[in-house]
Amino acid sequence: MNPPGSLGGLEEKEEEDLSTPILGPSIYSDNPQERIQARRLRIAARLEARRREALGEYLDGKKESEEDQSKSSKQKEESRLKLAKLLLCGTELVTNIQVATDIREIHRRVEEEEIKRQRLEKLENEVKTSQDKFDEITAKWEEGRQKRIPQDLWDVLSTQQVHCAALIEDKNKLISELQQELKTKDDQYVKDLKKQSDDICLLLERMEEQVKNVMKTFRQELSYIEKAFEIERQELLTSNKKKWERALQAHNAKELEYLMNRIKKVEDYEKQLNKQRIWDWEEYNMIKIKLEQDVQILEQQLQQMKATYQLNQEKLEYNFQVLKKRDEESTVIKSQQKRKINRLHDTLNNLRSKYAKQIKQFQEENQSLTSDYKRLVMQFKELQKAMRHFALIDDKQFREIWLMNEEEAKDLISRAFDVDRIIHTHHLGLPWMAPDFWFLRNVGPISQQQQKSATQILEEVLMQTEEEGTEEAASEAESYLDLPKQISAKTTRKILMLLCDESGFLIESKLLSLLLPLEKNECYLLKLDAIFSALGIESEDDLYKLVNFFLRYRVYHSPSSQEQTSLMSALEPGEKRDLEEQKEESLGEGEAEEKEHPSSPKLIHPNDVLKILEAFVMGLKKPRDSRTPVKLKHVRDDSKDSEYWEALTTVIPDTTQNLWDALYTALEKYQ
Amino acid sequence: MQETLVTPTLSVLSRSSITMQDRSSTAGQASSTGPQPSRPSVIPPPSKSKGWKSGANVRRMRRIIAEDPEWSLAIVPLLTELCIQHIVENFQNNPILKQLLPEHQQKVLNHLSPDLPLTVTANLIDDENYWRRCCMQRWPVCHVARHGGSWKRLFFERHLENLIKHFIPSTTDPAVILDLLPFCKNYVRRLRVDQFLPPVQLPLQPWNGELSDSGSEAEMEQPTGDHYQLRDLVAGLSHLEELDLVYGVKDCGMNFEWNLFLFTYQDCHSLAATIKACHTLKTFRLTRSKVDDDKARILIRSLLDHPALEELDLSHNLIGDRGARAAAKLLSHSHLRVLTLANNQVRAPGAQSLAHALAHNTNLISLNLRLNCIEDEGGQALAHALQTNKCLTTLHLGGNELSEPTATLLSQVLTVNTTLTSINLSCNHIGLDGGKQLLEGMSDNKTLLEFDLRLSDVAQESEYLIGQALCANREAARQRALNPSHFMSPITAKGPENPVG
Repeated sequence: MNPPGSLGGLEEKEEEDLSTPILGPSIYSDNPQERIQARRLRIAARLEARRREALGEYLDGKKESEEDQSKSSKQKEESRLKLAKLLLCGTELVTNIQVATDIREIHRRVEEEEIKRQRLEKLENEVKTSQDKFDEITAKWEEGRQKRIPQDLWDVLSTQQVHCAALIEDKNKLISELQQELKTKDDQYVKDLKKQSDDICLLLERMEEQVKNVMKTFRQELSYIEKAFEIERQELLTSNKKKWERALQAHNAKELEYLMNRIKKVEDYEKQLNKQRIWDWEEYNMIKIKLEQDVQILEQQLQQMKATYQLNQEKLEYNFQVLKKRDEESTVIKSQQKRKINRLHDTLNNLRSKYAKQIKQFQEENQSLTSDYKRLVMQFKELQKAMRHFALIDDKQFREIWLMNEEEAKDLISRAFDVDRIIHTHHLGLPWMAPDFWFLRNVGPISQQQQKSATQILEEVLMQTEEEGTEEAASEAESYLDLPKQISAKTTRKILMLLCDESGFLIESKLLSLLLPLEKNECYLLKLDAIFSALGIESEDDLYKLVNFFLRYRVYHSPSSQEQTSLMSALEPGEKRDLEEQKEESLGEGEAEEKEHPSSPKLIHPNDVLKILEAFVMGLKKPRDSRTPVKLKHVRDDSKDSEYWEALTTVIPDTTQNLWDALYTALEKYQ
Repeated sequence: MQETLVTPTLSVLSRSSITMQDRSSTAGQASSTGPQPSRPSVIPPPSKSKGWKSGANVRRMRRIIAEDPEWSLAIVPLLTELCIQHIVENFQNNPILKQLLPEHQQKVLNHLSPDLPLTVTANLIDDENYWRRCCMQRWPVCHVARHGGSWKRLFFERHLENLIKHFIPSTTDPAVILDLLPFCKNYVRRLRVDQFLPPVQLPLQPWNGELSDSGSEAEMEQPTGDHYQLRDLVAGLSHLEELDLVYGVKDCGMNFEWNLFLFTYQDCHSLAATIKACHTLKTFRLTRSKVDDDKARILIRSLLDHPALEELDLSHNLIGDRGARAAAKLLSHSHLRVLTLANNQVRAPGAQSLAHALAHNTNLISLNLRLNCIEDEGGQALAHALQTNKCLTTLHLGGNELSEPTATLLSQVLTVNTTLTSINLSCNHIGLDGGKQLLEGMSDNKTLLEFDLRLSDVAQESEYLIGQALCANREAARQRALNPSHFMSPITAKGPENPVG
């Protein structure tokens, strides 16, 4: 048995692989015919081309070249066709082997199938027949068992043996047949192997042959094509040469013509040149003479120029020398100036340093002085404190001493009075009246009326006005003894109320909130206090000034006193004050006038209050500034002391003393 | 002039020798021999022996050489040359290539020995020249064009094929192949193994039972005939596109045994899983491997809806109608372009199922059913299918017991179809009438370029005339190929012509 699947396939595979790149030979019958035919065609084409060339030789060169080109391309096409055919045939030849193997394989398969079928049939027949035989034998066994006679039995057994042997022989025969077949198949396998190797060899041979042939034909065709190209080229070359020669001849003829023309022209030109030359010669001479003359003139000028040049040079040299000298001088001066500048710079620096030093020194001095000053101020303050302290102590001492003395004196006086009383009542029988003197009632040192502060006044005013209804006239005279007489308490109060209402802006809002729960009067009091502190009104006088100011303002602004206001506005502040004083006096005189207008404050419009206040503050400020240092110290007035003490001595009048003297003398006489 | 040139190089040399000395003195004498070969900068100059002896000598030595009239630059090779030489010598231990300048790289590559281990060179060297030398050294004949023109690819593919070819299951260590995987996985695109050796026990057993009849062998060998399993290898090859396998032994000659050519079910299953997992596979060939219907079905089932497969070749096997039916199913479930079932046992039913699939297929370009037995029924079915098919260009029906009825149908196809370029009907029984009918069909066809009718009982005359028509077609095709602008008009002119004829 052959393994067709594996080895046969292997071979075919190889064939397939090798067949593609390698090509076949060209010794085929149709090939030369083809070649002859192609050549014939080519010759015909060439003839036709030649004829055409003969006919249309003078048409144009382009067609000719096209013709030539077609010749070579024809050759190329021809070769290509031939080679394609060659290749095709070669491949066919090579693949023929494959196809042959294929068909052989198919045939083999068909045969194999047939043989297989036959073999199977045979085997089946054999099985049938042997089965029959076997059945027969088994049947005979039964038969044999019935036989009792040993001879018969032996006969039967021997026949059976013969039958069995025949059966076995048949089987063996079949087996040997099959084995024979197997052997032949093995042989065939070997043969097939050989055949395949032969085929492969053939294939290789053909391939090689084809390669060679193809190469040969390719070379040949290449040479044909080359030849065709060569011929074409040569034709082209000859035709071009012809053209070239023709062109060259024409060119030569033209060249000759040109030459002749040129010679003629040259002769003409020569003649003209000669003429021109002669003419030029003459002209040249003339110009030469003229130019020489020019040269001479110019030389003369040159000499002159040279002379002036010399002169100028000398002058310039001299100038140069002078300038040089000047330059030297200037350098000397410059150096001097520089030195001077340096010196001045030095001094400037020195001065600067000195100045800085001095600044430093003065600063130090200043510092020391300020420290001194501070120290002194401190000392001064301490001194003041001490002074105050001493003043207080002095006052106290003074008061104590005063009191002591006063007590002593009063004691003495009381004794004197007692004595006097006794004398009067007892001795004279006269009623005694204790003398009443102001100084007797006095206790302590005599002092001036203390200036009341503005608030106190206010309080008084307000309190007073409250009780106004009850004790109107009586208290007025008493409590307002120290007040300016012209202004009634009522007016003052009204003015103050107005002020209080209008100038709420001067009071702090905090204070206002605090004041809310208070009584109306107290409220006013506190408000006014705040306003006065803001306006700078401290003392009683200031208050009265303010009230006065209000009143006067009203007067000035009344239409009757229009001139005065205009006058006042024109006056200086100092004069204004005088005027005010005058006015005050006039006011004082015109008390009645005021009385006529008890409700005068009402005339002051609340809107004017601010203006009035402003004017007042402006007026108040200046005198304040100047007055403050004067007002510094309250000096005790001791003018009345001696008077007081003298008065004390004169408690007992001279008349009484005289009385006493008389009494004394009378007493002495009595005794 | 020479002196000025000499001194700087010398100073460099002396400096390097000094630094070497320092290094050696610090590292100790023992270490001086060890690490130096791996360091390229430490290549000593020829005059190193002097420099080695004492550092103080260096300066004097330099002065002497500079004044030496006989001394010339030609004696001392350039430091770069020396470095390159050293790199070449020690490439196995310390491969330095990418860091070098291109010119130096070229020099190193030119001098590298082709015997270097692949672990060093595989992923480092891309130079074609080097791999060319490697290939030339190992194999006398190399068709680099069959490996995409890449010598490196050729080397790795053939190396891997050699390893697989000589792999004996359960004797050879599988690591031999799998160790190579990381180096060759980027370069191998095609695997063409025409031999799988069976396990080593198998040849031993037949030796003992050689005298016994061959029938009993089949029972013994079935369970233990498995070949090398490609699964791990193919899974590792990320660019594999072509797999060409033959389960058989080459060059067995007269030592032929049936069991050398066994394709077991185990092999078949593992191969099916392998090709299913390999999504880059474009071409799969399994030839001469005794693949029967069941195995073919197993393989084809795994190939259904394969994303890349374009060519399937199962020629020289034992595939019957059921296998052909499976292949027909594959045609409609993949992008297969080439199907080869040559030399199998496909009969009429198989061919009919193939024809049914072919009638509406738009991918298949080539169908090869050479040396089957589809007979007229199958041939007629195929011819009917070709009347509607607009894609197939090559059809090989050689040796299929076809006769006149098929020829008549095919002649009708030839008038209608404009895509077929090559038909092979050799080794059939077309007969004289069939040949005439084919000639008639051919006269209306303008696209067919090849028509093989050898040994098919066709009259010489009709074969010749068909050949003429083919020549004309070929010429037209050539004209079309030469000037594509011209190509448009003939085909439009031809388009309406064909249905009329």
